[in-house]
Amino acid sequence: MRTTRTRARRAWQAAIGILTTVLVATACAGGAQSTDAGSAQEGGDLTFLIDSLGDTWIPNNSAISSFQGHIWGHVTDKLVYVDENGKTSPWIAQSWEQNADATEFTLRLREGVTFSDGTPLDAAAVVANLDMWSKGDATRGINPIGLFPKTYQAAQAVDPATVKVTFSSPTLGFIPTLGYHGSILISPKSLALPAEQQADLSNDIGSGPYVVESWKDDDVVVLRKRADYDWAPEALSHQGPARIDSITYKLVGEQQVRTSSVQSNQADIAYNPSPKELETFKAQGFSVAAPRYLGFVNGFAINTKVAPFDDVKVRQALQHGIDRDQILATVYTPDWLAAESFIQSNVPGATDHKAAFAHDSAKAEALLDEAGWAKGPDGVRTKNGTKLALTLYPNPYLATSKAVDELIAQQLRGIGFEVGIQAYDVVTYGQRVKVGGETVPAYEITRSFIDAGTVGGVLTDANKGENWFGLGQSDAKLTELATSIAGASDPALRDAQLDELQGYVLDQGYFVPITQIVQRLYLQSPRVHDVTYNGIAYANYYTAWIGDPT
Amino acid sequence: MSGYGGFALRRAGQAVVVVLLTYVFTFWVISVLPGDPVTTTLRNPQNGFTEEEIARIVSYYGLDRPVLVQLWESLSRFVTGDLGVSLRSNRSVADMIGEVLPSTLVLAAASLTIAVVLSFAIAFGVHYLPRPFSTALRSVPSLFLSVPGFLVGLLLIQVFSFGLGLFRAIDTDGPVATFFAALTLGIWVSAQIAEVLIANLDHEAAQEYAGVARSRGLGRLRMLLKHLLKPSSLPVVTVLALMIGEVLGGAVITEAVFGRTGIGNLVERSVASQDLPVLQAVVTLAAVVFVVVNLLADLVYPLLDPRVTLQARPEVGANA
Repeated sequence: MRTTRTRARRAWQAAIGILTTVLVATACAGGAQSTDAGSAQEGGDLTFLIDSLGDTWIPNNSAISSFQGHIWGHVTDKLVYVDENGKTSPWIAQSWEQNADATEFTLRLREGVTFSDGTPLDAAAVVANLDMWSKGDATRGINPIGLFPKTYQAAQAVDPATVKVTFSSPTLGFIPTLGYHGSILISPKSLALPAEQQADLSNDIGSGPYVVESWKDDDVVVLRKRADYDWAPEALSHQGPARIDSITYKLVGEQQVRTSSVQSNQADIAYNPSPKELETFKAQGFSVAAPRYLGFVNGFAINTKVAPFDDVKVRQALQHGIDRDQILATVYTPDWLAAESFIQSNVPGATDHKAAFAHDSAKAEALLDEAGWAKGPDGVRTKNGTKLALTLYPNPYLATSKAVDELIAQQLRGIGFEVGIQAYDVVTYGQRVKVGGETVPAYEITRSFIDAGTVGGVLTDANKGENWFGLGQSDAKLTELATSIAGASDPALRDAQLDELQGYVLDQGYFVPITQIVQRLYLQSPRVHDVTYNGIAYANYYTAWIGDPT
Repeated sequence: MSGYGGFALRRAGQAVVVVLLTYVFTFWVISVLPGDPVTTTLRNPQNGFTEEEIARIVSYYGLDRPVLVQLWESLSRFVTGDLGVSLRSNRSVADMIGEVLPSTLVLAAASLTIAVVLSFAIAFGVHYLPRPFSTALRSVPSLFLSVPGFLVGLLLIQVFSFGLGLFRAIDTDGPVATFFAALTLGIWVSAQIAEVLIANLDHEAAQEYAGVARSRGLGRLRMLLKHLLKPSSLPVVTVLALMIGEVLGGAVITEAVFGRTGIGNLVERSVASQDLPVLQAVVTLAAVVFVVVNLLADLVYPLLDPRVTLQARPEVGANA
């Protein structure tokens, strides 16, 4: 049923796309390009068209990492701010100290900050939030925040403006994590409410530059600016109350209706336009933002327990057999960047290891020859009667994944792999395709993180790690590097280890990068200026202003 | 009278059984499907939950208990009038339905009105207009049926919103946007009514009484209004009753194209996420609507056609 619907949808999208382009192109023929020159103006209302408003509004359970994060980003503040280059700077926490082994942190809070229900955002409120992020509340059905450091022990309010946080082992990632999706500060009064009441967005009170004026499930959220807001991150270009009076997040499921609404000046922002149309929009004078998040690049974690990927030469052949430039040119637009490592290049500590996975089919074929895989008459390599086979499982959470996998399959067939593609819907995928699964030789990764310490925690099974490559702790060098990065207390030393780890993982063919990933795309009217994007690629309209219609 | 009372009681009893069976059946269908909304959300790798955490959350929602236990709880809640809490949004199911129902009712009422007006206009045209026009009009219902609703909707938005600027495509509850959404749905519904109406008018016009009336010099319009329309409308009532159910629950595509909330949209999202409590409530609501509307249609029949009487029915029951 899903495929029929998708096919039908594609058919009409194509038909309507042509019509839209003709009609709107004529309307915008004059070109709508404006310059960012001119001073910021106060007031105005912004309309943001979004393709989903998530499921529940219980802050911890909501889709903080996708759609609802847009709203939380305006309604709430965080303890620290992380910019698009991964740089951490003060926000509600004005400063912080840590002990030598990074197990104890002291946060000094900005004074005079209040939630919009009047409750002070003081040490007690921060402790209540830290506890909720870490543990959730199983008796009320409130989830913990998945990526909050599992080493968290306790937080304590030393005085109204000081919080002491302790961990069971070194946790350098703690401070950056405070700027991550899930670390949104909510009024303790809201946190104390039962789940059913937290699910009503109007009850979830934050301290951010906007407050919820009204909302309707699966339809619309209207935010109004808070006049007494005066605690923006120092790193932002603007301070004091926001400039734009109201922001309306309106759910419009159909991509064409979203983009055409912006093109015909009925709305200001369309979220997730089709990547294929980005160049057209730019030519018409609209701006397109494709900010990258901090995290892993899109790529495959190779399961070394599945033959023949237990052989380093086969993994390396895979590494060199993929033509990533062709993928960028065919599936994506110039807004997508080539991978330089297995973590995105804007992550602090990411280093350039392009050579380890440069496309070289001759080298890949030589490696396979060396490993004993001989090419048969049909072009497929065999060894002792076994075919060189690989099954790819496109990631259902990433729209372009299937197209990318098809291209990779084609490329790998050229060097003698027999490649199958098995696409599943989200539910089936969740059940059958697991990292390290017996039938999953290559698990497709797309995951954001805000601190490179995360990398150390997922590669092996040390400290309940996710064991991405199925190695357990059998690779002594990997285990040592990963464990010391996860438990590092000295940032400089950690950066050196991280560099070594990136080189090692790529050389060994454990992680096969595809491209750097852009998960959030924004089509924007030229009347909107000075939008800021943070480390998790969310658009922040706190700094923005609306200029004269063009 | 007692015959009618017994009939009414039996009918009501049947209705209750139908509704309860619908409730259980929905539960069973959703339960045999793999997965549940809670784990589906938690398993998104972006969330980074451990298996242990997932198991704990799933057990909070009681989703790890035997299916029969879950069914019993859900059923005993339902008979006391409690529709439960959505697994997807954590909000009360009654609230969620109450929120989208007005929008659905407005769309349904508007589209049915448009459909009735359109279909009668088409049928009248077919019988009243001179030849080339009436022949052309005859194929209009087939055309309306074969053009997909989303295409009509998108074209209307394209021309009247993006092109002429008559309404904001995203201002979905405004009167103009509602009119065009209702038109999209109404065109499709009108085709089904018009087909039945035209066929019946043809049939009635060929009857002897019509020939007699014509031979006595009765004008075409007078003939249509006075003699043919009433007997021809009878099956229309049946179609209309079926259509009410359709537009209440089946406006998913129109709602999606026009960005409206509504029961259809709620069902689509709940099916996608296997939100059992919401689905059970909506399907049961639909069952209630169908039962009530069909009962009403039965009651309207004798008013339109004196040959149909309720007395005839208990006799059928008595024979059985």
